Amino acid sequence: MSLRASNLAVVSRDDAAAPFCNDFVANEADLPGAGLDWLSARRKQAMDAFAKAGMPHRRVEAWKYTDIAAALDGALEPATPLHSPLIRKGALADPFVDVPGPRLAFVNGFLAPPAHIPAGIEIADLGALSYRAPDWVAEHLGRAATEASPLGVLSLGLMRGGVAIRVSDKIETPLHLSFLTPDREQALVSHTRVLLILEEGASLTLIESHLGEGAQQTLANIGVEIVLGEGARLDHVRLHAEGNASLHVTTSDVSIAGRAQYRGLFAALGGKLSRLDLAVHLMGDGAEANLRGLTVLAGGAHSDMTTLMDHAVPHTKSRQLFKSVLGGRARAVMQGRVLVREGAMKSDSHQLFKALLLGERAEADAKPELEILADDVVCGHGAAVGQLDTESLFYLRARGIPEAEARTLLMRAFLEDVIEGAARSDIHDALWSRLDAALPAISGEGA
Amino acid sequence: MNMLEIQNLHVAVGGKEILKGINLSVPAGEVHAVMGPNGSGKSTLSYALAGREGYEITEGRILYQGADLTALAPEERADKGVFLAMQYPVEIPGVTTLNFLKTALNAQRRARGAPELDAMKVMRLVREKAATLKIPEDMLKRALNVGFSGGEKKRMEILQMAVFEPKLAILDETDSGLDIDALKLVADGVNALRDPSRAMLVITHYQRLLTHIVPDRVHVMVDGRIAKSGGPELALALEEQGYERIVEAAA
Repeated sequence: MSLRASNLAVVSRDDAAAPFCNDFVANEADLPGAGLDWLSARRKQAMDAFAKAGMPHRRVEAWKYTDIAAALDGALEPATPLHSPLIRKGALADPFVDVPGPRLAFVNGFLAPPAHIPAGIEIADLGALSYRAPDWVAEHLGRAATEASPLGVLSLGLMRGGVAIRVSDKIETPLHLSFLTPDREQALVSHTRVLLILEEGASLTLIESHLGEGAQQTLANIGVEIVLGEGARLDHVRLHAEGNASLHVTTSDVSIAGRAQYRGLFAALGGKLSRLDLAVHLMGDGAEANLRGLTVLAGGAHSDMTTLMDHAVPHTKSRQLFKSVLGGRARAVMQGRVLVREGAMKSDSHQLFKALLLGERAEADAKPELEILADDVVCGHGAAVGQLDTESLFYLRARGIPEAEARTLLMRAFLEDVIEGAARSDIHDALWSRLDAALPAISGEGA
Repeated sequence: MNMLEIQNLHVAVGGKEILKGINLSVPAGEVHAVMGPNGSGKSTLSYALAGREGYEITEGRILYQGADLTALAPEERADKGVFLAMQYPVEIPGVTTLNFLKTALNAQRRARGAPELDAMKVMRLVREKAATLKIPEDMLKRALNVGFSGGEKKRMEILQMAVFEPKLAILDETDSGLDIDALKLVADGVNALRDPSRAMLVITHYQRLLTHIVPDRVHVMVDGRIAKSGGPELALALEEQGYERIVEAAA
């Protein structure tokens, strides 16, 4: 292993960041794609940015509700590929088992050998890059990682696994990315990248699930880049339901060209602490984004959905609806910044955050931010935090429905418009069956 | 036997006494009307009978089929056959009317130890009752009361009454917000459910509902008490002379 002089710059005085910088200095030459100059340069730049920013903590404005530095507890070993077969049952059972389509499974961040990939989709295993990579991977990989997102640049700097996907056609069956963190003996960290490119006119339904189990702490650090070409259309459904020892950060960047459409549904149903950092850039005339988020948490779980909606050019449209149902001491953070850039007239944006607090010590933090630098725009936003409606609860009980069941029914009613019409009916049903299993526990904690 | 026997009922809401000693009995097979001006405590009475939280019974008893109801939760009262058709039925997005009816009916059946009905059987039952109330089938597939007109919501209350087949039905201002056609439809639905084994308490501000649902007895409620009781002719007298004169005469 050679240690190049340039690596010496990657040092950090930040205790929480130092192990990651040390990992890079010690292992840079062994990381996948170490023979690719362009990748090495981007990794190096990323690690410099990370070292400079440090591990985010509550005194960093964007992370004030989600102190990831404080949550990191002790040493985390970099994950290595798992060689024994993985049994998918219990917490790792596939919630979308009834939804057809190819699956790409990632175990501790490493892509398992994929099944049949249909025509119109190309994939490249980012954990197996050596001296060669497809041009389209070289063109895009890591381009969106900026120092504004320290965990995002870290996922590039220390990327050990991941996948690049290029879609050139209208694909009917959903593609499923399944991230699994099985029970293990050590505390582990994984850094994984996903690059998804939809070429002009292409379309895809993407399912992304994150499942885990076990009592040892894990940090899954994932960086996602999505590039939608002219008129492309992506339906993206994400389910996060890791175990209660897991820390998770996904930093996602979506770039949408003219007339292209992005619909995202993000469900957070588990984990100890998770954050989805999502930046959406509307880059062409007629570009549209529709984001919906739902957080259903019990116990002491913490979920953070932070979005940037960037109206970069005129005639773009965005809709955002985020709802949380929280029992026990659970906490949901909803931060949304809408940016309408100079000259981006006729931008049409709406954002709404709503939360139901059912646990006595549950907490919701909603922070909408509007930054409008253009004239002739329509931008609306709102936030509301409340409890179950007592009138409705009485109505259902007076019809003979027991209180716990009535509460669950009202939580379901609260979440309905987040899910309704946001996905194919089989995906919709799979999400509901997951929610129907989760909601009664919250009802019990709230009573 | 009296299906319902209210004895010296005092109810406070938020620490303020609203009902100040109600005495009222409704035998099985009879329909009684409770009339009264706004603020007399009519809705408080209906909520207290159904067991709504926050309606504190400070004195007195509510006997239903001879047993005291006052300690029971709303769902337990429903399971025993008490039904309240509400003045303002709530909207429940995300739950179809049919699914709601199935959930509620089976919850009641479960509590009574009766076997639950499958979706097909519930569907058949509901469809048949809905037809007589002129409730179109697509309404059953829509979320409960969401986007329904005032008249549709009230018809939906009567449909529930028809499906649950309660022993004691309390109708709280079921006529409010209805035009004459809707009123007639609702009244016909209620009349069809008159039965020797069932008692009904019809709470209303206006006499007009009582020309369609002719009561056996009429009680006039003023300031938390029954000020006067009489036959159906009392409702007409109220309409002609107003509450004030009738009440003054009673005082």
